[in-house]
Amino acid sequence: MGVSGWFKFKGRSLFSWAFTFQRLTGVVLLIYLLAHLTYLSSLLDKTGATYESMIAITVSRQFLVFDILLVLCGVFHGVNGFRIILHEFGIAYEYRKPLLVIFTVIAVVVWLYASYVMYSLVGG
Amino acid sequence: MVRFKIRRYDGEKSYWQSFEVPAKKGMTVLEALYYIKENYESSLAFRASCRMGICGSCAMKINDRPRLACETQVLTLGDTVKVEPLDNFKVIKDLITEFDGFFEKHKAVKPYLIRKDDNYAEPKELLQTPEELNEYYIFTLCIKCGACYSVCPAAATLDEYLGPAAMTAAYRFCADSRDEGQKERYEIASSPNGVWRCHLAMECSEVCPKNVEPAKAVQLLRRKTAFSILKSLLGW
Amino acid sequence: MEHDIVIVGAGIAGMRAAIAAAEKSRKLSIALIAKTYPIRCHSVCAEGGTAAVLREGDSFDLHAWDTIKGSDFLADQDAVEFFVRECPVEILRLENWGCPWSRNEDGTVAQRPFGGHSFNRATYAKDRTGFHEAHTLYERMLMYDNIEIFPEYFITNLAIEDGAVQGVSAIQLKTGEMEFFEAKAVIFATGGAGRLYGFTTYSHQVTGDGLAIAYRNGIPLKDMEFFQFHPTGLIPSGILMTEGCRGEGGYLLNKNGERFMKRYAPEKMEIAPRDVVSRAMWTEIMEGRGIEGEYGPYIALDLRHLGEEKIEERLPLIRDAAIKFAGVDPVEEPIPVKPVAHYTMGGIDTNVRCETAVKGFFAAGECACVSIHGANRLGANSTAECLVFGRVAGEVAAEYALNAKQGKISAEFRQKEEKRIFDDLLGKSGDESPYQIKKELNETMDSNMWIFREERGLKEAVKKIQELKERYKNVEINDKSRGFNTDLTSAIEIGYMLDLAEVVAIGALKRQESRGAHYRLDYPKRDDENWLKHTLAYYTPEGPKFDYKPVTITKWEPVERKY
Repeated sequence: MGVSGWFKFKGRSLFSWAFTFQRLTGVVLLIYLLAHLTYLSSLLDKTGATYESMIAITVSRQFLVFDILLVLCGVFHGVNGFRIILHEFGIAYEYRKPLLVIFTVIAVVVWLYASYVMYSLVGG
Repeated sequence: MVRFKIRRYDGEKSYWQSFEVPAKKGMTVLEALYYIKENYESSLAFRASCRMGICGSCAMKINDRPRLACETQVLTLGDTVKVEPLDNFKVIKDLITEFDGFFEKHKAVKPYLIRKDDNYAEPKELLQTPEELNEYYIFTLCIKCGACYSVCPAAATLDEYLGPAAMTAAYRFCADSRDEGQKERYEIASSPNGVWRCHLAMECSEVCPKNVEPAKAVQLLRRKTAFSILKSLLGW
Repeated sequence: MEHDIVIVGAGIAGMRAAIAAAEKSRKLSIALIAKTYPIRCHSVCAEGGTAAVLREGDSFDLHAWDTIKGSDFLADQDAVEFFVRECPVEILRLENWGCPWSRNEDGTVAQRPFGGHSFNRATYAKDRTGFHEAHTLYERMLMYDNIEIFPEYFITNLAIEDGAVQGVSAIQLKTGEMEFFEAKAVIFATGGAGRLYGFTTYSHQVTGDGLAIAYRNGIPLKDMEFFQFHPTGLIPSGILMTEGCRGEGGYLLNKNGERFMKRYAPEKMEIAPRDVVSRAMWTEIMEGRGIEGEYGPYIALDLRHLGEEKIEERLPLIRDAAIKFAGVDPVEEPIPVKPVAHYTMGGIDTNVRCETAVKGFFAAGECACVSIHGANRLGANSTAECLVFGRVAGEVAAEYALNAKQGKISAEFRQKEEKRIFDDLLGKSGDESPYQIKKELNETMDSNMWIFREERGLKEAVKKIQELKERYKNVEINDKSRGFNTDLTSAIEIGYMLDLAEVVAIGALKRQESRGAHYRLDYPKRDDENWLKHTLAYYTPEGPKFDYKPVTITKWEPVERKY
């Protein structure tokens, strides 16, 4: 079946959704990280003026959507990842359902707050 | 009347076939399948034996979820019941899937008690307290139905992945106070197709009809394997 | 395919035989053939326990006496004396192989009370004893390189030439092709024939295949009219509610809330042997004191007074099954139960070394009749029998195979067998449905061959079975394909069951007495003068021919059986 096996959701529990999102956000973050590092190291001069002009482009309304999505990926991957680390050490396995809900809620709350901060930064 | 939509396979092509079954209270999906076989379509092929949820033959996807057909009540499923063979297994005919590979993987983890003083001719009683028994008892309940394996995304992507059932069997013996073969099983478990392929989708524990908690077994096995490797690296 | 030993049937007896033969010599090649994967066998349904003399206060003579009295003195006493001495070591072996026996506080293997035993000698693994034993044996069997497992091979015939066994023929279900296994020795461990009945504890696959094949090849079947009816089968499925429920203290109540067993077995009450309890329950139902329910009158099995903790600790499977299959939680309500067809005391005639009338052919487990259980089996003795005689069959077959010459199945046999199955059965057309025939067979057996039998009913049953056999000749199998043809295998199974039903019915008609599980309303007394003997049934094309052989008595003269 290959990787398509990750995308079977019918009849599956929320755990499978969390698993698939962990994979997807991981791939997105990896691509972003490589792109980010490649771009930055391609900049020929690393002066203050170059930095300011870059910020002027990327911290803007046009980039806000991408930033919000990126932060969603990062926050979810990190918070969910922490839940996974706990279980992989055999901790709190009996509470896995409540933990899934709690950690997802934490991730969403953190993401909403971060989005709000970013939104106000671009002068919304 | 409940409509049963069954995904059939005759060795060459796969197709759906529908049947109307008169369902009454208490009728299980397995009884419905026998009804269909004996009254409508006798070529319908499925595995079944004990009809009490202990032999593990009748695991199949019912309304997209893997369950034991003998334990699933028809009237809880709605007007239409979709019946398909388990995912991640090769289909031989209709609802019958290839299980040889599944049992090979079970065999590969050495699922038997390993002891140096194995004496066939004159066995001696080994002591085990009820507490020691409870450490591993729940993992002995696995009926090898294959439901866990069918929802495991790691098993979907890699055919050779040992799978939750095999690793639960490995842990069941590692946690048995009478066993002396942990080292051998840890080596097998830490192979490329072993515990490290599990990334905690945990769907296996959700669908296990006997509540064996395979995800927990795999994590406990990882912990034991990791500590064992650590100990050997540090020379303890 | 060539092997030294072929074992048909991968239940507790078959797997134990394979291990015993492999231990005897690593040079022997052993094939274990079964129609399902080994751990899907019916043995996993066994619940209550395995009897063995393990502790102070118990003795082999006591276990033997309990078994012989339980058998209504039809058991061969020399075999029973041998049997009880071999049980303890099998328990310890299973323990060494990883079986999760339930334990006492001090870590020793626990034992619980069981029907008909005068000492608490049933070792148990919660209430899934058979399940754990079968899995332990399967897992141990994986250690031997010389055992080759052939799952999902459906056996069709035994090849006997020159008075010795040459091998077996079987259909490989996956491909639908006929395979021939040549061997020096063949062991049948194929189980009983409970699916003759409609209301039964048996799995769907227990259709008496080995019994019918041995019978058709001229090997006599012994004591087939003795079918055990277990007192507590869940309604309406027939799922077994283990005797352990009553062993742990459960009560049987009629519609007046009365523990009626005190009128039938005042000393043992609910843990009297199964035939006594079944007859008591059925009498209560027939005399109108059963509780009315959706599926007819029933008796209540009350476990409420045991408390949730004890039920969860000792009877978890029972609780689970009652909730799942009857919607009843035993902690809150009594379980609706009725006597149910449960065990085949009869089987292929063997001696205490599992040898049969044909050289190189052995039988062990429920499909064999040594006889240990006589006219009625005690609970916890069947799994013990499978272990002990599985071992004996494996060792004796191994000894035989080390000195025998390789079996050869002639081309003529192969052609005849393929024609019989694929041309004559699968290929022909007719107007009878095999499933309709099975339904009518079940109905006849359930009404006329049940706990209380009498001449008119038995004669009707014989007539009906013979009619069904005629109709079976005209059966058509709709699925003509080869691969995994369950239609074909079902039809073959129904053919086996018809042959066996005839043996059971005529045997019951001939036995004009009541003994153990065989109770005749027209001959209600036990008749030791005329009937202290085993029934032997031989195949002839016109129907079974009967002969009798005496029971071996060593120490215990038959007495009145009171509990």
